[in-house]
Amino acid sequence: MRRPDPDHHDGTADATPGGCDDARRPGELAFVVLLLLASLALLWSAYGISGFEALSAPGSVPMAATTAMVVTSMIVVLRTARLPRSAGETLRRDILPGVVVIFVLLLIAYALLLKPLGFLPTSGLFLMVSIRILSGRGWGFALTVSAGSLLAIWLIFRIVFTVLMPPGIVPEAEFIQIFRDLGAGGR
Amino acid sequence: MEVLTPLLTVFAEPQLLALVALGTFAGIYVGAIPGLSVTMAVSILISFTFTWDVYPAISLMIGIYMGGVYGGARTAILLNIPGAPSAIATALDGYPMARRGEAGTAIGVTTVMSCIGGFVGIGVLALAAPLVSDFALRFQPRDYMLLALLGILLVGSLSTGSLVKGIFAGALGIAIGAVGRDPLTFTERFTFDLQILEGGISFIAVMIGMFGVSEALLQLHHVDKPAIRQKIDRIVPSLATVRKHLPLSLQTSTIGVVIGALPGTGGDIAALMAYDHAKRVTKHPERPFGDGAMEGLVAPETANNAAVGGAFIPMMTLGIPGDAVTAIMIGALFIHGLNPGPMLMIDRPEMFWFIVGALLTANVFMLIFGLTGIKLFTRIVEMPRSVLIPLILLLSIVGAYAVNNSIADVYWMLGFGVFGYFLRHYGYPLGPVILGVILSRLLDDNWRRAIISEREDLGRFFAGIFSSPLSTVLFIGVVLIFVSQTPLWRRLKARVLRPSGT
Repeated sequence: MRRPDPDHHDGTADATPGGCDDARRPGELAFVVLLLLASLALLWSAYGISGFEALSAPGSVPMAATTAMVVTSMIVVLRTARLPRSAGETLRRDILPGVVVIFVLLLIAYALLLKPLGFLPTSGLFLMVSIRILSGRGWGFALTVSAGSLLAIWLIFRIVFTVLMPPGIVPEAEFIQIFRDLGAGGR
Repeated sequence: MEVLTPLLTVFAEPQLLALVALGTFAGIYVGAIPGLSVTMAVSILISFTFTWDVYPAISLMIGIYMGGVYGGARTAILLNIPGAPSAIATALDGYPMARRGEAGTAIGVTTVMSCIGGFVGIGVLALAAPLVSDFALRFQPRDYMLLALLGILLVGSLSTGSLVKGIFAGALGIAIGAVGRDPLTFTERFTFDLQILEGGISFIAVMIGMFGVSEALLQLHHVDKPAIRQKIDRIVPSLATVRKHLPLSLQTSTIGVVIGALPGTGGDIAALMAYDHAKRVTKHPERPFGDGAMEGLVAPETANNAAVGGAFIPMMTLGIPGDAVTAIMIGALFIHGLNPGPMLMIDRPEMFWFIVGALLTANVFMLIFGLTGIKLFTRIVEMPRSVLIPLILLLSIVGAYAVNNSIADVYWMLGFGVFGYFLRHYGYPLGPVILGVILSRLLDDNWRRAIISEREDLGRFFAGIFSSPLSTVLFIGVVLIFVSQTPLWRRLKARVLRPSGT
């Protein structure tokens, strides 16, 4: 497999997925076994759609697809089980470092808070916390950068792209109306 | 006239022209910033532009696509980090040139060559697409089914070492695409009696999750990687340099168009094949390949930009995407009520010519922006990842929410993001998943149409395949992909190649 540089070695580009061809990465066996189990469950569910009623039944293509999933994941499980463990890789460091877990949690928190709190406060909080964690610099830096970029994002997407985000506790529409009135009054 | 007017629509409306320019400009940066991919940008943009009219939305996305393919070369040259998969081959000789202090020359040559390649690709698109689409009108449902299958398999087999994982990914995509109520019989499929699954899973949520969130999560591994500064000298290449490499660039452009036009193969493979070709035909390079040979820069850059035009041929005429990015462009056209396929050329020819015009314009803007603004460019590329990654994640969430104003889509997006993160880690390609999701409907409909017309008889179905030359070729293609993965093929290849090899 091609590995043009360390930065893209683990699947950062669409064309070069990560993984090792000749070694088993940490957690890989568990993952492929899970995929096999999920494929079996899906095959069962696909069989339940219309069974072997007819070749043109709504369940045929789902059954064909899930059969392909079961067969391929079985091959992958067998192959993976035979491979030696990759040297020097650990689950905590190479597959699921703490920072990734933290970010997944942050994203879940974001999705939960988006509706009740509204787009601007949730995004502001998210940007501030995540920039603080990643950059390792002070709150002042995090606050400035996140406020600046949030303003830019809001201007671009709310005004230019007219995307409606949940307003939550911030009276966005009223703000925009005030500015519109100011603009109209000036003319 | 009926061709010229829509072709020039872009120029008639300053707003569209500005959007193409803006898109190209943004695309160059998106392509160049490691960690931002064109696939990611276009998938997020779809969700923001879906309330727009079709012309402005397409203008912006075409600009991004064209600029992005070129932009990846910048960081490949300056930092040895291909900003996009299609720039992998560019780094091989581009970075050695930059290390010798010739970064400016390398960027200049890349820009001009990308532009030449782009024009060749668009030219072929304009000439070939009407012909292909006439031909495609004769396609039977089974041909569409085989073509879709072939596309998914090609993406699965060519982009990675493991076809098995590619097939799994493609099948998974088809299954995801089947979730919800069956459009023909209203039978529930994979809904597990859950109400949120009845309407199916929004493919934009899958797309943004897989290409936006999972990529951003992976980038978290490299937060601390420092940016490297390069000195940049003169940029605009001399006419003599361009003329010297013109013959090679035309050859590699041709490779690019052909590879790009094959369903399932895109700019990355075109670039690598063109690089190989250049290595073979250049007898006396000024410097050895891999050490800063100009030819090693010309070949991949012409090819990957020519592949853009090539990739649009099957996309516009058959509705079969060439790679992940074109799959997403198809998604964009769908959202704006256009159905890529042979009927598009008959029902909405003006749309096709408008797209050709927009591509041409984007190509010109690429040349202009490519040869100017390098100072600003190096600034933006050095934007720290600690700021970039949170922004990408934020945009992914906003994008997933914006399409249907639904929080459920955000959860799907996050779920597929985390799932995609693991898939990437364990060597599963994501392109086939997206292709599967997008082609699932086409595959299913055409399979059912084909088998019903053969009175549910598999024997008659296969007899039908072998009675038509086109179906036969497609069928053999599908079979060949499987055979090519077995030990038998390797032995055969070794036997055939050994006598001619040096």
